[in-house]
Amino acid sequence: MKRPKLAIAGLTACSGCQLTLLNCEDELPEVARLFELVDFPMGESGSDPDAVFDAAIVEGAVSTPADLANLFKLRNASRLLVAFGTCALFGGVAAMNNLGSKREELLRRVYGEGGDGIESFPPSPFRNFVSVDYTITGCPPEKHDILALLAALLAGTLPPPQCYPVCTECRSRENLCLLLERNELCLGPIIQGGCNARCPATGIVCEGCRGPVREANVAQELELLLERGFDRKEIERRMSRFTPEWDYGQRR
Amino acid sequence: MGSVVEINPLTRVEGHGSVKVYREGARVERVELCLSESPRLFEALLIGKSYAEVPEIICRICSLCSTVHKVTALLAVEQAFGTEVSEVTALTRELIVNGGQIQDHALHLYCLLLPDLLGVRGVAELALKAPELLKTGLAIKKAGNMIQETVGGRLIHPVNISLGGLGHRIGKEQLLRLKSELEAVLPACSEAYRLFRTPFPFPLLPVPNCLALEPVCHPLSADRCRMTDGGTFAIRDYREHILESVLPHSHAKYARVLGAEATVGALARLSLGASLSAGAEGIFRTVKEEILGRDMRGNNVAQAIELCQAAERALELIDKLLVIGREGAGNLKVVPRAGLGSAALEAPRGVLIHSYAFDAEGICTGADVITPTSLNQGALARDLLALARGMEGEETSQMTTALERLIRCYDPCISCSVHVLHL
Repeated sequence: MKRPKLAIAGLTACSGCQLTLLNCEDELPEVARLFELVDFPMGESGSDPDAVFDAAIVEGAVSTPADLANLFKLRNASRLLVAFGTCALFGGVAAMNNLGSKREELLRRVYGEGGDGIESFPPSPFRNFVSVDYTITGCPPEKHDILALLAALLAGTLPPPQCYPVCTECRSRENLCLLLERNELCLGPIIQGGCNARCPATGIVCEGCRGPVREANVAQELELLLERGFDRKEIERRMSRFTPEWDYGQRR
Repeated sequence: MGSVVEINPLTRVEGHGSVKVYREGARVERVELCLSESPRLFEALLIGKSYAEVPEIICRICSLCSTVHKVTALLAVEQAFGTEVSEVTALTRELIVNGGQIQDHALHLYCLLLPDLLGVRGVAELALKAPELLKTGLAIKKAGNMIQETVGGRLIHPVNISLGGLGHRIGKEQLLRLKSELEAVLPACSEAYRLFRTPFPFPLLPVPNCLALEPVCHPLSADRCRMTDGGTFAIRDYREHILESVLPHSHAKYARVLGAEATVGALARLSLGASLSAGAEGIFRTVKEEILGRDMRGNNVAQAIELCQAAERALELIDKLLVIGREGAGNLKVVPRAGLGSAALEAPRGVLIHSYAFDAEGICTGADVITPTSLNQGALARDLLALARGMEGEETSQMTTALERLIRCYDPCISCSVHVLHL
């Protein structure tokens, strides 16, 4: 069988999505056997600048001209482009202040006068620049999602998309509802599930790391949180931690 | 005629960087280390956020060391508010930090560095040429990760450790399961140093001026740093003693500690007398002569010794946690007040400092993080130059291989180092 050729790379990110692959300790030797890891700087030395790929699995947001050049290069060199993780999909933590503050101000705050010379724009998701063939969400992503993608690639297909909120798995695990029963600011109802409600299961509210679920009823969640006495500013701050651009529905 | 040799990108390290060697004929003029990671501006992002959000956001600086970033941030915020946590919380935090240490050192040694020792491209070729060694390394890594997942609720960016306590206390069954996993990999951890002791043919490099936290019985409460040359300072005064500047070719800051280029990490800890568990102490005695008072190449052996140390310490912590009853547990409500908190921990790659200022409502008004890689940057640049000069006249490919190898001795974590410049 022909081994599919992969590029695994990162743009503006923490390397956590690539680490998620390296965290598949039991499967990693098999992955190395079944795929050709043509371009994977975090795990492999020496790559061919003219290589082409069956799939490029890329993490991170796009925030510099170099990121953008790299993204175009990978898009052009690969049959499939996979946006790997919340930063690639929604902008992620680096983008949380995109709507509130100017990039130049943030740069100056961190780098002082030297900030003026740094080429950087508001961290943005891939879909603002290129077409994306598949997405894996999460900060960090789940191991089973990257493994399911790899298995599907071997079979010449892609896994079916998931489309249900965190609450679905949370309720089926019979967790205490942190939002209704403990009056905590939990984002579960509007966030993409698939994490088996990890955080609420340990007693910690959903922080929204997997981004919005399709057709999220954002206005209703906002209404509910306001009714329960949470401050509008706090709610928006919390919601924008991983996804700066929400449609707040009739309340905006 | 002048020429430039470029290693771009640096591979088998975390993050984006490159090295340029400027030569005049065979003579090396200078070496430029460029940590080119795109800046994420965390310090600016934290301003205006609530204290409760700070640890959850800042741990995203880096995935490999997200656990130790989170714990350091918790300690700094709690210090600002004068919160004292329960014994169970403190021990559980120390346990997960050791889990992080195991996973991080094992990843670096067995997946990123081992290919150098065996002359292969990377982890994929390892799987074909040295499957048993890779499997051993991955088993150790998995045990560390199991601690992180069990205690932290997930593998990266842990959630279960929080301000004032824990989401839930780790149950007896889970602790016993961790114990048996750790016991299963302990022999491999104790043997690891033999593999990474392999000498490599570099010219001699400068002897590092090590910097580490002063060893104390509770590593989470260390409050002073010290250096090989005898210098010492309190963490709360770190700003007076660590001076940073920006280099035009790098997005990371260049730090000088007490006026010197400091080296942090496993070798620095062992050199400055870290208290070791029995097994690790035994190994350390065996290799002491080979690594102490010498250059940075001893760092990988030191990391291997720490694999054993972290596993043994984690077992001790589990035993302690198993016997503490309800009286030592419980969460505390964190009450914000205006103030400044600074805390430091030994991250896998060395001293890590977090510092935050809050107003009376607990809104963050200032944030500063000093990472091991930014502390090491000066020493790494110095050693790269010394190595390149020591190899003048040799094949260019041999020199670039050696330079990359030296960089992996330092085990840099580049995404940590660039995001939190404070100037």
